[in-house]
Amino acid sequence: MSRPGDPPVDPRGVRFSAAVTTVVLALVLLSGSGWLLAAQAVVFALGAFAGLRFSPYSVLYRALVAPRLGPPSTQEEAAPVRFSQTVGLVFTVVGVVGYFTGLTALGIVATAFALAAAFLNAAFGFCLGCEMYALIARVRNNKQGATA
Amino acid sequence: MLVGTLVLATVVGIVLRSRDGRMRGGGGASGGWALAGSAPASDERVLLLQLSSPVCTPCRQTAGVLGELTARTPGVVHLEIDVADRPDVARELGVMRTPTVVAFDRSGAELTRVSGVPRVADLEAVLAPELNRP
Repeated sequence: MSRPGDPPVDPRGVRFSAAVTTVVLALVLLSGSGWLLAAQAVVFALGAFAGLRFSPYSVLYRALVAPRLGPPSTQEEAAPVRFSQTVGLVFTVVGVVGYFTGLTALGIVATAFALAAAFLNAAFGFCLGCEMYALIARVRNNKQGATA
Repeated sequence: MLVGTLVLATVVGIVLRSRDGRMRGGGGASGGWALAGSAPASDERVLLLQLSSPVCTPCRQTAGVLGELTARTPGVVHLEIDVADRPDVARELGVMRTPTVVAFDRSGAELTRVSGVPRVADLEAVLAPELNRP
């Protein structure tokens, strides 16, 4: 998924994107709109598959916010951030399926998880998807062990 | 639902932040050197076993901090394991976050563990008795 050639990213841009994501997902919960959640899923998919610089929020950051801030003092590896976009994509796709098939509870719960993760990143700088990679790797290994 | 989610996330954030980088004693893990596929040389007293993942920014910072610590502290060894390659080690040690560093004494018994980038002064204080033992 992430290629070694990905250029490093501005951590402030990551926080900005997480803040926009938080607002969008909060609006999804308030409105119950599966379409708005689908739009967020597309944003995640662009960041995860095309690359972070193609994510609309990242474009927005570079066009509107970055010029006012000056150059970043530190840079961050792109791979963890890209991984977190993939985790976000999984949750939002599950949520979209929930909202559009009438399993509204599933839509709400999946959206709430994605919202919690985006909020943790925006407010605390924690990349929950990244930190839980260990847990995900353990679960994946257990499954392989069970089917082997 | 919205308010509940944000309140819950805030609590999680505060708990994670307060635990981040702090030493936690009381872990009963053993066999640290064997897990890392290593054995202590005659002058090695402490193993800092770092569990990392490829998608982890604080893991790189932790490796840098521990690299400096081992360079200036004789008797301390730092080994890094990728949980993607060795999920069995994460399971054996009950590790759910990266980076987590588990410190073992010469016999392989757990001394302390810390998730997030360790606070070096705290870590040195915990390791001092082990390193200064005659």
